[in-house]
Parts: sequence; C-alpha cells; structure tokens
Amino acid sequence: MDNFKFEVVFPALVAGRFLLALTPISDALKHDHILTSPLTAYPRLQEGLYLFSKGIDPYSGGVFRHSPLFLALFSTVIPLTNITAALLWTASDAISAWALVRIWRARQRIQRSSRDALVAALYLLNPYTLLPTLALSSSSFENALLLLSVMFASEGQTSPSLLALAFLTQLSPPSVLFLLPLLLLLITDPVSHLATPRVFPSKIHNIIPPLGEFSIYFAALTFASTLVCGSWSWVGQSWGATLTLPDLTPNVGLWWYFFTEMFDHFRPFFLMVFSVHLLIYVVPVCIKFQHDMLYVVFLMAGVLAAFKPYPTLSDPGLFVSMFALFPETYPYLHHPLVTALLHLHSALLLPLFHHLWLSQGTGNANFFYASTLVFGVSNGAALLDAVWSGLRIAVGHVPESHEVVQE
Amino acid sequence: MRLPISLLSLSLLCLSSIISAQQSAEEQITSFFNANTKSDTTSGSGHTNNWAVLVCASRYWFNYRHMANALGMYRTVKRLGIPDSNIILMLSDDAACNTRNKFPGCVFASAHGPGRATGKGGGGQDSLDLYGDNIEVDYRGYEVTVENFLRVLTGRVPPSVPRSKRLLSNDRSNVFIYMTGHGGNEFLKFQDDEEISAFDIADALEQMWQKKRYSEVLFMIDTCQANTMFSKFYSPNILATGSSEMDEKSYSFENDNDLGVAVIDSYTHYVLKFMEGINKTSQMTMQDLFNTYSFDKFHSTAGVRSDLFNRPLDKTYITDFLGGVSQAEVLIPLPPSDPPLEPESQHEYSAAPAPHDFNTTSEPKEEEVSLFPELATHLLDDAEKSTLRAWTSTAVLLGLVGWVAARRSASAKASP
Repeated sequence: MDNFKFEVVFPALVAGRFLLALTPISDALKHDHILTSPLTAYPRLQEGLYLFSKGIDPYSGGVFRHSPLFLALFSTVIPLTNITAALLWTASDAISAWALVRIWRARQRIQRSSRDALVAALYLLNPYTLLPTLALSSSSFENALLLLSVMFASEGQTSPSLLALAFLTQLSPPSVLFLLPLLLLLITDPVSHLATPRVFPSKIHNIIPPLGEFSIYFAALTFASTLVCGSWSWVGQSWGATLTLPDLTPNVGLWWYFFTEMFDHFRPFFLMVFSVHLLIYVVPVCIKFQHDMLYVVFLMAGVLAAFKPYPTLSDPGLFVSMFALFPETYPYLHHPLVTALLHLHSALLLPLFHHLWLSQGTGNANFFYASTLVFGVSNGAALLDAVWSGLRIAVGHVPESHEVVQE
Repeated sequence: MRLPISLLSLSLLCLSSIISAQQSAEEQITSFFNANTKSDTTSGSGHTNNWAVLVCASRYWFNYRHMANALGMYRTVKRLGIPDSNIILMLSDDAACNTRNKFPGCVFASAHGPGRATGKGGGGQDSLDLYGDNIEVDYRGYEVTVENFLRVLTGRVPPSVPRSKRLLSNDRSNVFIYMTGHGGNEFLKFQDDEEISAFDIADALEQMWQKKRYSEVLFMIDTCQANTMFSKFYSPNILATGSSEMDEKSYSFENDNDLGVAVIDSYTHYVLKFMEGINKTSQMTMQDLFNTYSFDKFHSTAGVRSDLFNRPLDKTYITDFLGGVSQAEVLIPLPPSDPPLEPESQHEYSAAPAPHDFNTTSEPKEEEVSLFPELATHLLDDAEKSTLRAWTSTAVLLGLVGWVAARRSASAKASP
C-alpha cells in the first residue's frame, strides 16, 4: 500500500463508496440498531423533517432527537432524497478521510508521504465506518466534524477548529470531552512527542481566549437552533436524551441494558454516575500525555467509543481509524492480536445475536447484551493498549535483566 | 255551611287532579319504556344489546364436527353483528391444531370437494375456513367445564376472571345460547368427563331471570335427544329449539375423506345454510327458520318450545337473537366551522370580537381587529412559519461559517 499514489486511491475509494451508497443497501441498513442509534437514525430524521415541514413541532413526540440544525439545513439548502443523501454521506466520509490524511501529514511535518493512501484507506475501507455511512446514520457527520476540527487544530487554524467543535458538540454533547484536549492542542503542536515526554510547553491560561471563542460559537449555534424550533423544547429532547436516557432502543453501547433493568428510584443516581464517569477521564489523560495532545484526542475518542450513551459503530470506527496516525506505537502494543480478535469476535456476534433476539425470536435480550459486553471489552482492550503503548514508547528499548517500573 | 262544602269539593278536585296527574305520569313512564314496542321498524322486542354463549362440550379429534358446529354458529353470529366482546365461545379447541389435521390451523364445515379451498379461506360460503385468523376463544381446553358454564350464565364468577370471560348481560339483553356435543335423555356430556343435566340449565336460567340477566333467551341445542334438554325450563321469555326428540339420535351431515371424520352435524348444517340467507337487515323470523325443519333432511325430529315465550314467533326476527343490530338516531349535522378571515368582511376598530352563534350559518362573522385592512390579512400558517425559521437559522449558520472562513483567510494572509 505504501507505493500507491494517494491521488489515485482516494478518488477511487470515494467513487466506490458513492456507487455503493446508490444501491438499495441503505434501505436495508437504515433501521439497524448496531449501525444507528435513536439520536442518529435516518428514518427518525426523515420523520422530524416531515413534521417540521407540516408546521408541527418535531420534538413533541419522542421520535426525533437530532439537532435542530439538521432541521434547518435539510429543509432548506440540502433537501434529502436518495441521491442527495448518498452524495452527502459519501462527501462526509471523503472529508473525514481527507482530514485524517491532513492530520497525518501535519503530525509528520511533511507535505505528502507514501503512507497517505494507507491512512485514507484505513478510514474509507474500515467496516466500522463504512456501514454506518451506508446506513445513513448522522454519526458519520460527527466523525467528519471531529476530524475536521482536529485537522484545523493541527494546522494551527483556531477559528475553524473551534467552530467545527462547536457544531460537533451541538450534535453530540458527549463530544465536549474533546474540548480541553483540542484547546491544548491549539496552543501546542500535533507533532509526535510520545518518545520524548516533557512538561507542557505553553502557559495554560493561553486557552482562555479560544475557550471564549468556542463559547461564542456555541452560543450562536444554540441561538440558531432555538430559532428553528421557536422554543426550547429541543434541548430536553436532543441533549437531554444523553443525560436522561429516555429511549432504551438497543444499541452497541453499555448504557441501555443497564438502564432497562434499573429501578426508577436509582435511575437519577446512576445517570449521574455514568455521565460523570465520562468527564473524569479528561483531566488525568491530559496531564499524563501533556507532551502530545493529539494522542489525548485519540484516547478521548477511545473513551467515547466505549462509554458513550448512544454509540453506533462509527465511534469505535473513528478510534480504530485514528490508530493509523500513530505508527510509532505499533511495536509497543501489548496485546494487538487479542484486541483484534476480540473486535472480530464481537463484530460477528453483534449482528448475529441481534438477529436471534429480534428477528428470529429464539434468543433473548441477554444474548445481545452479552455481545455488547464483549464489544465493550474489545473497545476497552484497545484503549488500554493505546495508553500502554503511548507511555511505553518513552521508555524505549529495555535491555536484558532490566524491567520497566512506574513510580 | 257552603264554605266547607266548597272547600271539600275543591280539595277533592285537587286530589283527583293529582291522582290523574300521577296516572298520566305513570302512563308517560310506561309509554316511554314501551316506546320500542310501538315502533314499526322493530320486531317488538325490548332488547338493547345481544349476547351469545356458544358451547362445544366435546373434545378429541373424532368430535371434529362439534367444533365445526360451534365455530359455524360463531362465524354466523359475528357476521350478523355481535362483537367478540359479547360472545362467550367455549371450545376444547383441539381440532384446528391437532396433529391429525391434514389442513393445519383450519376447521371446515363441508367436505373436501371442487368448491373447497385446501388452505385458508377461498371458495364459497361452506368451504370457508371457520378457524382463520380472527377468532377469540374465551374458554378453551380444560376450562370448558359444567361449573364454568353455569358460572358464566349466572354471573357468579370470581373477581379474577377477566371481562372477556364474563357474560355481562342485563335485563335488556337478548342471549343466544347454543350447545352441541354428546347428549342423552336430559343430560349433556362435557369433555368426556362430567355431565350437565337439564335441571341444572333450567335452574341457571331461572337465576338469570331473577337477577335480571336477560330480556329473552334463544336456546338452541344439537345433540342426541336434544329436545329433552329444554323440557325442564320454567323461566319466562325463553324460546328453545333442539335437533332431536327423546330416544332419537342426531346425525352428522357428511364425512370428509381427507380428514377422516365427519365435519358437520345435519341440524346445524341446515340451520347455518338458512342463516347464509340472513344479513343484518333481514326481517326473516324464527317461524321461517322453524318452517324449514324437516325429518327428511335431519333424519330426526327437530323440536321447538315456545310456551315460555311471550311474543309470536312470526313476529320475532332472527336478528333479535343472532344479530347485533341496534337502533341509531341520525342527528342534524352541525354547520361547518367558519373559514379564516376574509378581507372583504366588515372590520370594526373594536377590541372585542363579536360572539359566535353556531345555529346561524349564513352571516359573515366579524373577526379580529385589523388596523391595516388594505394589507393582506392572511396570517402565516404553521408550515410557512417553519420554513421561515429554517431559512433564518440556516442563514445564521452559513453566516457563521463564512465569517470564520473570512477570518481564517485574513489571518492566513496576515501571518506568513
């Protein structure tokens, strides 16, 4: 793959994906619970757009949980038909892959490399990202926005990066985990310092102006969202869904089964625990990897993949694809084969048990729950291995009769 | 002397007027309750609702025809308008899904022939699959017992019994009771295990009468020596009919060579055939049904007992018992609600709108205040408001993106 030209591979893969998107496969996949979630499913988006076009508040039922910005965009400038949907989702994938390549180039401080095609292919051919795009899940947009944001941050462009992140946080509030790492990335550089850890080079209070700018963009987008709806009902239905988990449709995450069997009087406590659990990763990882903020962004993607409220396959897909940016970690991975096999195992079991439970009726929810647990273990194993290898690089080669000890 | 006499006469006059007023009040009340009987369109029955209790008291494959009997009556009664909520169907329900059934999930009332579909549905009336998709069996299998049957009739059910299994009839209900199975002289065999006697049913019906649980009952029974089952009734307003006399058997109608069993009994077959000609508006009477009884067809003497029944049989409609017809009154429709503002209507510079009067339809209504009548007073409806909001919001979004892009190019130009 190293010798393939990026200019040939990338358009070919994008064209292939577009052709695939034009087939009727989207109709079969768009209802899938593994590829879409209640926050990202395409039929729900269509329902919300239809209600909106008739003047009914789409947030008055419990079906539509997308951001109102989608309502605005898709009922005005980008009407959704089969062709435009295929074009749009293919474009978002193309942007994601292109942004990934740009991040890779920024990290290596080169204009082009022989590995560009491989990096693009690792996103475009990754089944974890390919299938949700074909299923027209809006999580593909979230991936594209994150990669765009990181790309702009790697190239030093503050405002576009913050705007993309503000848009992303509007679509998916758990992505606020990326805020601090991205701000810190903006005031440092994306170049790899994993092998040479050092104290954080800039002053922390330099992030306050970008933070203010982010807040302004976020407020402006919130204003635009409220303008579309004409009321504040969308906040509870879209953002509130990630906090209160009203919709217990099965997905590949770890939250839904836990909360189906939760007694009502424990629910608020455990919702708080699960939400705070996401937040507690940010500061420690930022501190431990303060020398390489791009790696922190990567690890945050891993945390979200494993522990997000309503994940789809795109979230671990993003994490797996971003692995392409850090080839320096490959020799130091502790258990890559185990992680790969766990992923393979769960990727095969998830649709199988879902079918057994909901289509065939010979299994029950515990089957699918078990496969999501295996999936959670595989995501956790990948995250742990990433953390391990990121730290292990700094130690370097260990001669015989020596061992690595962390104080 | 004249004053007391006048007072007395006056008081007598008052008293008589009060009494006559009371009587006329009573007349009014009785005439109100007898309103139905004086109407021309009804048959004179005072009922307001219909119930059906259909019992097949046999089980096992070789009693397929009893299942078909009960299911045929069930389909007829449903077709003529009694809903599932008013039908208590008691079957052992072991024919349709029996492993010996060549047509699984189906119960037919006619033998296999050129007119019969070998699957679900299709064909003419008597090749109909009686089981089908739309069936509600209330008491199935081992729940069909004498005790449950008597409890259903008398209403003495434990509180845990669901509504669908209760006979919730009142004193204005006409109840159609149909029973089929193996019977004998004043008894009927239930599920090869126990038997109910004619005295039990008679007492149950008397309890129903005492508790005002029926207005009229049609009791139909198709077993051997069936007429003995209704010989012991003693409650009023019961019309009973059975398929055979004492010491007579009732015969099945035809065998099916594919199923290997008889599929329907003669008496029920001919009754169902008669019912095929009945629809909800039919004014065929019970006498018409009874006139079709013939020994040559049934090979048994079908009987009728009408001494407990008050109304003449040729004035009693079939649909009084088997149909769920009800009287409906048509009200004059209300005028349609007013259309939104018309610019040419009268405008008044007043704060309060004129009150609406729904009984008059022709005048243009005076609506809300409009200070600028020459402008279009067409309000934006909700869909248009949504589009406007969407465009504004998109403009904000794209404006933000454009502003950031402009800043970026400016800063890119500024810094080398």
